[in-house]
Amino acid sequence: MSRINFLKLKSQVKKEIEKADNLKILDEIFRKYLGEKGKITFLIRSLKKLSKVKRRKMGLQINEFKAFLKKSLEKKAEEIKEKLEKEMVEKDWIDVTIPGRKIQVGHLHPLTQVKQEIEEIFQSMGFSIVEGPEIENEWYNFDALNIPVDHPARDFWNTLWLKDKKAKFLLRTHTSPVQIHYLEKNQPPLRIIVPGRVFRHEATDASHEINFYQLEGLMVGENVSVANFKAIVQEFFKQFFKKPVKIRMRPSYFPFTEPSFEVDLFCLNCLGKGCPACQKTGWIEMMGAGMVHPNVFLNAGLKPKEWQGFAFGIGIERLAMMKYKINDIRLFYNGDLRFLEQF
Amino acid sequence: MVFSYNWLQSFFERKISKPEKLADFLTMKSFEVESIEKIGDDFGLNIEVLPNRGPDCFSHLGIAREVGAILGYELVTRNYPLKEDKSLKTKDFLKVEVKNKNDCYRYIARTIFDVKIDSSPKWIREKLLVCGLRPINNVVDILNYVMLETGQPLHAFDFDKIAGKKIIVRKAQKGEKIITFDNEKYELDKEVLVIADDKTPLAIAGIKGGKKAEISKRTKRIVLESANFNQKTIRAGSKKIDLKTDASWRFEHGIDPNLAELAINQASYLIQEIAGGNVCQGFIDFYPKKLLPKKIRLDLDYVENLLGVKIAKKEIEDILKRLKFKVSQPLSPSSDNTLIVEVPTFRLDISLAEDLIEEIARLYGYQKIPLVFPTVTLIPPQKNLNLFWEKIAKDTLKEAGLTETYNYSFIGEREKEIFNFKDLIELENPTSADYKYLRPSLIPHLLKNIQKNQRFLKEIKIFELGKIYKRPNFEEKRRLTGAIRGKAFFEAKGVVDFLFQNLGIAQVWYDGFQPTPEETEISIWHPLRCAEIKVNHEEVGFLGEIAPKITDFFKIEDKVTIFDLDFEKLSRLASEEAIYQPISSYPAAIRDLSVLVPRRILADEVLNEIERSGGELLRDVDLFDIYEGEELPEGMKNLTFHLIYQARDRVLSSKEIEQIQQNIIKTLEENGWQVRK
Repeated sequence: MSRINFLKLKSQVKKEIEKADNLKILDEIFRKYLGEKGKITFLIRSLKKLSKVKRRKMGLQINEFKAFLKKSLEKKAEEIKEKLEKEMVEKDWIDVTIPGRKIQVGHLHPLTQVKQEIEEIFQSMGFSIVEGPEIENEWYNFDALNIPVDHPARDFWNTLWLKDKKAKFLLRTHTSPVQIHYLEKNQPPLRIIVPGRVFRHEATDASHEINFYQLEGLMVGENVSVANFKAIVQEFFKQFFKKPVKIRMRPSYFPFTEPSFEVDLFCLNCLGKGCPACQKTGWIEMMGAGMVHPNVFLNAGLKPKEWQGFAFGIGIERLAMMKYKINDIRLFYNGDLRFLEQF
Repeated sequence: MVFSYNWLQSFFERKISKPEKLADFLTMKSFEVESIEKIGDDFGLNIEVLPNRGPDCFSHLGIAREVGAILGYELVTRNYPLKEDKSLKTKDFLKVEVKNKNDCYRYIARTIFDVKIDSSPKWIREKLLVCGLRPINNVVDILNYVMLETGQPLHAFDFDKIAGKKIIVRKAQKGEKIITFDNEKYELDKEVLVIADDKTPLAIAGIKGGKKAEISKRTKRIVLESANFNQKTIRAGSKKIDLKTDASWRFEHGIDPNLAELAINQASYLIQEIAGGNVCQGFIDFYPKKLLPKKIRLDLDYVENLLGVKIAKKEIEDILKRLKFKVSQPLSPSSDNTLIVEVPTFRLDISLAEDLIEEIARLYGYQKIPLVFPTVTLIPPQKNLNLFWEKIAKDTLKEAGLTETYNYSFIGEREKEIFNFKDLIELENPTSADYKYLRPSLIPHLLKNIQKNQRFLKEIKIFELGKIYKRPNFEEKRRLTGAIRGKAFFEAKGVVDFLFQNLGIAQVWYDGFQPTPEETEISIWHPLRCAEIKVNHEEVGFLGEIAPKITDFFKIEDKVTIFDLDFEKLSRLASEEAIYQPISSYPAAIRDLSVLVPRRILADEVLNEIERSGGELLRDVDLFDIYEGEELPEGMKNLTFHLIYQARDRVLSSKEIEQIQQNIIKTLEENGWQVRK
């Protein structure tokens, strides 16, 4: 048995391992020394030929070398793996600024979205959503709402009439007839909103359409007051525009409410400084409202002495136009997908 | 209506607010002031007088009363010291006969002699111009001036042109004609009230004067008229002959009959001062039923309850008095919270306690009413199922890539013809020929939408959920209709399936539609590419490609596929409760099956045979591949199905499954179809 210089062997191994640049070479190094036919394996096998003392000394040296070798190999393997991983990651690099792949989705009409939002707000305040017919007779659209025949007030609503020999039908000019329909069938106290399509005989322009959407509100109870109206309506605007709002009320006239008022909203666009949106007044006209006229209760079969309440009507297009800064009402009805696909 | 600021100031000794400030006050407490225009050394205030306040506020006097009430200022009393000529008595020269006292509540006439027609003085002309009226001559200008000040329309006739020296207020005869002072000819009828002499009409009462007795440069002697007509009569007459004037507009809104006297006195005085007339003594006054002030009982608890704020009794009394109401305590002071309010006759708009509450509220100031959330019993809002299903349907179609459109409820003659629509509801007064009928279908507008967008977009998928209208019962029904540009039958069918799935409606199937030759002639659908959509045995809609003659008509460059659904039925079917099917805890087994069938055999027919012969252990069948191609015999197609077997109560053995599978194959082969193994 030749004498082995473990120190020399160690430095040789060290160099070999340092040179290695992949896991396969490391494996080869391992096998060269510790494999079945490896140098050290061979050495171990020949130990039995030595004397007990020598065997012990030699054994210790071999073990120490084995440990050294394993540790070095492991360390190097670790380094190589790390490097490989780094390279892999490098290959996976993507340009995050490349635009996302376009997903084909549809769009809901802005009026649908605004309508749903309004409905949710009022539902959260306990209002039920009710609908009514678009084809009406004169009683529901006018007379029952305290707008008598031959009264100049009928001229505010430019009516579209239907041709029929037997009866006089019309397209409702407002959602207010639903007040009567609902009061006829339901006992107060009650709270409803009525969204729906209404019709006017009108020359169309940026702010007029022959059909459009209105939202009627009605709350009736024993003590429902103007003060209640103010609170509900301000809360609605606050939630709809998602910011603090201010409202003001001015005298107005509607045959079916008394007192009647107009509700203005503090201009959110210019904060009252005056801008084109509010026609430089700082306020935007939002809705007509009032306390339900006793004759309306009477016409719906209720006793006016027992009930009181408020009613209001607001244009849904108007809210949508303010929310999305749309300047022409006709865009809602001309089916231009370049407009509709923005929502 | 435009009002002169200086004119309003002339009603007060004290200085009123500056125009801008005054406009703000009026807007918040009375009527909206839409604009202020500086005209010379005056300002024109454009005030939107509310229609119920026409009777008192279509006048400077009325607006001045509002200003006085707002500012708490008293109005000056105007005096018109007439110098009547005692040697001339009106009633000696003129007779007045009112034949219809329900149409004419009051008629005052007075004669003035020796007037000199000339142009009016500068101060009158200026005031008229600020208010938008053109000066004509001194008498006419004075009458207009008094109308603008008081709200009472006045009229003057040339006395020497009145035949028989008699004024008759009567209904016109059918076919009777009049030429108005502006040389327009009108044919009258029995609904129109006229002022006539004993031969012909001199004026259309309350609307316009006639040529015959018009004031001209040569006029020396005049008759002044200050009348009060039934507002309905004037409105009907003005509609009948299609003529609206400043006077008719005022009479339509109603005027206090007690105003007639004040106005004629003021006018007579001014004519005397300016045109130098000799005012005859006295006037003829037909006024059979004098209008007296109303009294209204006002319960102050109700005021508080309706407004939601307590206003002190003293303040309420003060507001009412500023508005010229007389306030007193009830004779039996059962409650000291009650007031008796006497309404001046010029306030024709006030008849109820609620009307008074409005007066109190606006002058108290709506902005001072606090915001108070109602205290009510907690009742959850009722769910609106219609809207619930609408939302699900719209969201589903949006997810499927369709964009929602809103279209007009109207269609025109052209659409009616090409679609061969019957039983349409026609409008009596359409805004244009294109909007003459109520739409009986959403399809025409969706095709227009496609036409409009085809230049900009290759891919067009749209839908609308809206009402359609039909005779004979003026029914309005919701319809859900979608349109896809191109040959897209199966894409559209996939969308419909997805929709039904999300609405929870099972048992949908498609029935090949077999039109008769006549039907094909008029059908809007491609005869070989359309189907009825059915749920159980009920037809709920239609699906198919639109016939080329229709797409050509709409100038669409491509094919269009449409689905058209009855949303009322869908909504009802969706609302019927779905029953939960327990999930089996035993494993399912899947077998595939390929069948070779002639091309025109429907996939559904094969599917039905499989389901029928499979029995209840065959839980589901899916068609997952259809193949037509070179390797297959001419005119044949290959259908491949997944068959899913599952029992509720046990694990199925492969022997059991094999038995059913063989049974199915046998049945298919009995149909003459070849099962490929």
